[in-house]
Amino acid sequence: MTELLIEQIINGIVAGSVYALVAPGMTMIFGVLRAINFAHGEYYMLGTFSAWYVITKLDVSYPVAIFLAVIITMGIAAVIGRLVMQGLVTAPFQSGVLATLGLSLILQNLIIITFGGTYKIFPGGWLEPVFFGEISLAWQRIIIVLVTIGVFVALEFLVRRTRMGKAMRAVSQNTACCLVNGINIERVVLGTFVLGGGLAALSGVLTGPINVTVYGGMGEAITLKTFAVIVMGGMGNVRGTLIAGWVLGIAESFVAGFIGLQYRDAVGFVILIGMLMVRPTGFFSVQSRF
Amino acid sequence: MTIESTSLQASGARTTSRAASRLMGVAILIALLAAPFVLDSYYLHAVIISMIFLLPAHGLNLIVGYMGMLSLAQGAFFGIGSYVSALAAMHFGTPFYVNFILAGMVTGLIALPLGIPALRLRTYSFVMCTLGLVVIAEAVAKNWVGLTRGDMGLSGVPQPVLGFGAQPFTVTTITGYYYLYLVIAVLMTGLFYALVVSPAGRSMIAIRDNETQAEALGIPTWSYKLVVFTISAAFAGFGGSLYAHYLTTVSPLTFQMFYSTTILIIVLGGGAGSIRGVVVGSIVFVAVSEALRISPEYRMVMYGLVLLLLVFWLPSGLTPLIDRGLAMLSGSRK
Repeated sequence: MTELLIEQIINGIVAGSVYALVAPGMTMIFGVLRAINFAHGEYYMLGTFSAWYVITKLDVSYPVAIFLAVIITMGIAAVIGRLVMQGLVTAPFQSGVLATLGLSLILQNLIIITFGGTYKIFPGGWLEPVFFGEISLAWQRIIIVLVTIGVFVALEFLVRRTRMGKAMRAVSQNTACCLVNGINIERVVLGTFVLGGGLAALSGVLTGPINVTVYGGMGEAITLKTFAVIVMGGMGNVRGTLIAGWVLGIAESFVAGFIGLQYRDAVGFVILIGMLMVRPTGFFSVQSRF
Repeated sequence: MTIESTSLQASGARTTSRAASRLMGVAILIALLAAPFVLDSYYLHAVIISMIFLLPAHGLNLIVGYMGMLSLAQGAFFGIGSYVSALAAMHFGTPFYVNFILAGMVTGLIALPLGIPALRLRTYSFVMCTLGLVVIAEAVAKNWVGLTRGDMGLSGVPQPVLGFGAQPFTVTTITGYYYLYLVIAVLMTGLFYALVVSPAGRSMIAIRDNETQAEALGIPTWSYKLVVFTISAAFAGFGGSLYAHYLTTVSPLTFQMFYSTTILIIVLGGGAGSIRGVVVGSIVFVAVSEALRISPEYRMVMYGLVLLLLVFWLPSGLTPLIDRGLAMLSGSRK
């Protein structure tokens, strides 16, 4: 029983790390733009797809593919950020919802039109198991957790210490003061958006070998789960998303293990609605700030 | 996006084009009545689908255009309505009009308790919550196998049985469907019009424009929001009933984002807060893309582009264009 419990917790942390890597992008863009990005999961999908493409068509190795996939996705995010996201700086919240919903439809279906709607198999990855006593774990899963922790340490440094991070926090607090102080809001929005897209792509490439299947609609479920994560973590709170991602991952794996696999994907939404009702500012703070 | 055109604010423009508007209405009605003699059955099918989607679109228009909130749950209520209607018809063999009314009422009753917590949320929290309702409705439809037969869905929903007396009459031809659904669509549009021009409709507009002031004027804003949410869900339920009896199958696929998105596009593309906008929107965005046999993927890309267009260039949808066209017809300049 305890073994099963430990296994569920470990599985939960692995799955939660995947969500935690996607979530900062959405929570940061909410911070600087006050907009919910309904297209955020699509960058996860684009990352996985780019990696699948360069591995199967251009025959590069998996580590190179990780690098390329993140670069390609950041390139696409830069174009979209320039054309769409920067235009949302002064817009009301509906504009953000509608524009990003539109982007999600466009990206998802362009991929299906280009590559076909069938499921594809993701090649590559480090799937050799490592044994810890009774529990075996694929290298890939350990790497995901380690990369996630590393990314969050780096993000913490970025947000607290660098000029860019200070500008991001400033924009999220008061846009008028940023204009007075010569902070270029549009550039901060673009930088935040591209960074978030890159992280989502990284999450997608790293999970590819575990999920195995690649298809155009895979981003949607991630977008929906990320809502639950950013609300739990506190909208705009980067640190909070790591803990919130793990909480969601562990909750899902408990429900899948002890209640039934088919209810796993509803967990995020039950948590989301519950949090919105009871504690809309998230676990950690009363104010929603970086 | 600000919702600018309303029945109140547009009244100035309406006086100049009222004659043209009336003429246009009569022309459209004649065209619709004559359509089965001119169009072949595939185009009739396209018009029928757009009439089905018109009902949930009216419902969403009530929330977006008259209450100023954005909901993605309309697809869920559409699906619930289709299940209610299908189950009633298959288990109890009730006639079509009973199923139709039942679908709307049950959907409204399901929406009422969901609205109580959801409507306490504002802006993006409300949007995320309504999206959650869709996902949960889909999970229920997939997993409550005893009632819904899960992923297989319900097939063999009977075609509409009409007739109030001793002679029941089953609609089987596409022309029959066309006239039946046309009558329903016209009646429901009339009902919707009666609702929004009534004092209740004016109170809704007051709440949208300034909730605090509306409350101060003695309008019970909370009850209004709840009732509007319920009515809009009922409209979606009516539409779902038409859909179930037309396709004769119901499945969890109805809870895909496709439906909520399509309904959203009709309302925002046509112009939230405007009945003629929504009617034109359902023809432009559903009938035309159905008639041109655009594959779902290309259609979704088109919808995505329409959404971006609406945000950046056409915040009031097609309504200002329709009004300009009407003004030109009546020979007066705006």
